[in-house]
Formats: sequence, C-alpha cells, structure tokens
Amino acid sequence: MQALWKREGVSNNTLMVVHCDGQLDPARIARALERFVELCPWPASRLRRPFPWGQLHWAAPANAASEAPAVRHQRLTTPDGLHGLLEAELNHAIDPRVEPPLRVAIFDTMIDAAGPQSALVLTWFHPLMDPRGAQNLLAHLAHLDEVVDGRAPWGGTPPAFATEPDPRPLKERGRLGRQSQRHMRALVPESPVSPGSGLAHPGLIRFEQASFVGDDHGLGGVHSTREICWRLALVGRTMADLWRRRGLPDVPFLVPVSIDLRPKGEPGATFGNVLAFHFARFKPSDTSDVAALTRTLRDQMTEALRDGQIDASAVAMEFLKYRPVSLMLRDLPGTATRETFSFNCADLADFPPAPEKLFGRRVVNAYHAPAVLPRPGVGVFFNRCGIRNNLVVSWVEGAMKEEEVTRIIEGVREGMQWRPAR
Amino acid sequence: MSTGNLSRLDPEEVARAVTEFINATIMARSRPVRPDDDLELAGLDSMALLKVLLFIEAHYGFWMPDEDLVADNIRTARAFATYICRRSA
Repeated sequence: MQALWKREGVSNNTLMVVHCDGQLDPARIARALERFVELCPWPASRLRRPFPWGQLHWAAPANAASEAPAVRHQRLTTPDGLHGLLEAELNHAIDPRVEPPLRVAIFDTMIDAAGPQSALVLTWFHPLMDPRGAQNLLAHLAHLDEVVDGRAPWGGTPPAFATEPDPRPLKERGRLGRQSQRHMRALVPESPVSPGSGLAHPGLIRFEQASFVGDDHGLGGVHSTREICWRLALVGRTMADLWRRRGLPDVPFLVPVSIDLRPKGEPGATFGNVLAFHFARFKPSDTSDVAALTRTLRDQMTEALRDGQIDASAVAMEFLKYRPVSLMLRDLPGTATRETFSFNCADLADFPPAPEKLFGRRVVNAYHAPAVLPRPGVGVFFNRCGIRNNLVVSWVEGAMKEEEVTRIIEGVREGMQWRPAR
Repeated sequence: MSTGNLSRLDPEEVARAVTEFINATIMARSRPVRPDDDLELAGLDSMALLKVLLFIEAHYGFWMPDEDLVADNIRTARAFATYICRRSA
C-alpha cells in the first residue's frame, strides 16, 4: 500500500486553532511575528541538507525578520465555511525546503448570537514543533504583543526556544537508538491491518472536532478518567467496533502514544519535537473490558519505563525526526512493502493559561489537528481549554466514513460521561 | 536503600525523599515542588505518576496496587510518604 502514497506530496501539516471572543487585528499578530523572528529565526527558516549528504537542519535566511510568515486574513460569510478552510490548510502541504515551515491565518466569522469572532490558525510542518511547542509559540507572540514602550521582552532574558542537544556521547545515543529500533521490530511480528485496504487514491486529510463538558475526576490517580491509559482503552474500544464492522482480523495493533519530555511546571521548548513514543499494543478483542485493558496498558507503560524504552525512543526520535517518512518506514517492519497503517492517540492536557488573552481577545477554545503519518492514518486527540474537553479525530478520506468518525466521538463521549458543550 | 528497616521509616524523611525524586526527575529546575504541594496542579501526568511508583518500588520494595492509587494516597509527596510508612509498618 505504501506505493500508493509515493510522490503524492503527502502533507505533514499540523493545525492549531484558537477561537477568540472577538475579531483579531492581523497587523498586531504580524508585528509580534516579526519581533519574534528577530529573536528566533525558526519560523522563517528552511530545511536544508548539505550537498551531497549531511545532517538535515533548519537554516535561517540572511534577513529573517523580512521573511517572517505573512498573516493571511479572510472574512467568512457563514460560520459553516470555517471547517472547510481548516481542512484545506491541513491538506495544502508545506514544503519546508522552499517556504517557511509556518503559516498564520485569521478567519473572521459572524455568529449572530456571539457577534464577530476570529479563529487564529497556525499551520506548520510537523517536524518544526509539536503541539505543545505551538502553544508556547502563541504564548511568546502574546508576550511580544503586550511588551511595548521600549521595554525588553522577557525582562531582557528570552527563554530557551529549543532544547539543548542530548549531552550523551554519540556511541551511547546510537546504542539507545538501536535498542528502540529492536523494540519496535519485536512489537510488530504481524503485518499491520488497515481500515484503508482497497483505497485507490491517497485521499484528503479530514478531521472532526467536538467539545464537551463534564467532570473528569482529575485527582483520582489511576482511577481518574484523565489517565491516558483509560482514554486509550476507550479509544481502542471504539476502534475495535470499526474493525468488527469491517470484518478485519483480530490481530494486535500498535498505538503510538506521544509522551511530552518537557520538565513539568514551566512551558519548556518551543521548537523541535520534544516527544518520545510509547507503543501500546492490544487486539480488538481485548477492548471488550475497558477497565481490564486500562490495567494492561498501564502495565505495558510501566514496563516500557522500567526497561528504558521511553528514553531509548526519545533518542531514536532524535535520529528520525527530520527524515522523510519513507526512511522511517524502514524501521517499522511490514510497512515498507506491505500494508501501512498508523493509529495515533495523545492527550495534550490543558491549553496553557498564558494565552487566555491573546492579542486583546479572550480565548474561547483551542485544539490541534494533525495529519497522521504514515498513510492511511487515524488519530484521536484530547485536550482541555478552560471547562471544554476537546476531542479531535483526524483521518484520511476513504479510510473511514464520516458516520464512523461520529461513532468514535460518541463512543468516547459516552465512556467519559461528557455532555456536549454549548 | 535497604528495605530491612521499613517499620522504622520516618514520614518526614520519606516525604523529603519522594519530593527530591520528583524535583530531580520530573519538575523543571525553576519550579520545584514542596512536600505538601498538589502534584497534579504542579503538572504531573500519567507517565510522571508511574515514575514515582517505580521510585517507590526501587526504594521501599513494594509496588502500590491499583486499588491504593486514590487521591488521598497520591495527591502530594507527603501523602505518598504517609502511605509508604503505613504500608511498611
């Protein structure tokens, strides 16, 4: 199946959408972006590799400030048009070799009851940063917008925008990277099973977002519905339903669960993917008892920590993150020549409090929607913004139908005992 | 640490050890927690909780079972310490 996606210009974009309670001023955001790239040129950089071969790296243009990403501004006549524009952003692949890896857009809508509103949309080439990094970027831009009258931003001491390189010697990192590679190979003895079987065309990336409210028992430890293993088990149950309806075999599938490596208590790095992956593994038939599956997934996660697999994965990501997907697939057995399928799940937790006010407007809601690689990929993503619990399902057209996506969202909502947010 | 003298564990000392572990391996250097700080509010997530459980297993010789992982036992480093001392007595 992977041959289907070759030379198709498959998008590796990710979106961050922030809804505000009034209309945003594009000039303010453009000014903040220009000030930001003067301090940190990453959003204006290009992905380069020395000829004929060398390490991929981000290279800043000579005059980064003048190449800050432009802010696109569009007024919509109906609120219904917004979702189509967001999906278009997701599918309009960024080529970081020839253009900035970040796009910024403001879409103004007029909803009678709420009055004029804006959606601020960041679209980026995923290896530039992870969603938490995008949240940090917004906080930095908001800070630069607020600091006026000649005052130095961050009191003259800007935060570190990227993580320091791993100080361990290359030999040690190489050993850990190989350990992670061996682990991944051992996890997938069987060929993956894909709901995208029979797809004749790569298909567009689609996503659906829903907001809910309800008590999610944050302080209950592993009895908390905020626990990632519980959420993953719920998502697994809804996916198993999809498997059954498709008549797919009951073979184990892997779910990469992203783990934020930033130290807790402060925002941490903006650029680079500060993530490791834990690979949860279960069969569709394991999902009938969600509580039992939660325990199994927790045991798997504990073993991964105990065996150092999380650390090894973080090191392996350092080697892999800027490589083309085709090279990554070599490390996932069964994907280079046979069926491919990626099923991803993550909880981004709280949208950070810093951008509660963004460019003079209050943040009403915020969520992210990525293209899930390799194709055909499906992702289910959680996050919270204020009292809203967001659920985003991202998929490739043809791999799932809209009613199946609706069933996944409803299955998770029911398991979480959430109510639709108004 | 030897697990031979668990019955004589000092709650203050255990709370300090758990707090030190959390600050050294989980928290940002500029945002250390104190023994009575709410760990979830400080930013600890599912993975961080498992790290604390592995620390307890390595240093006090037992694994906290799922049924004991309730807010009263895990809300703060001191709550962990109280549980560890009770369990070890």
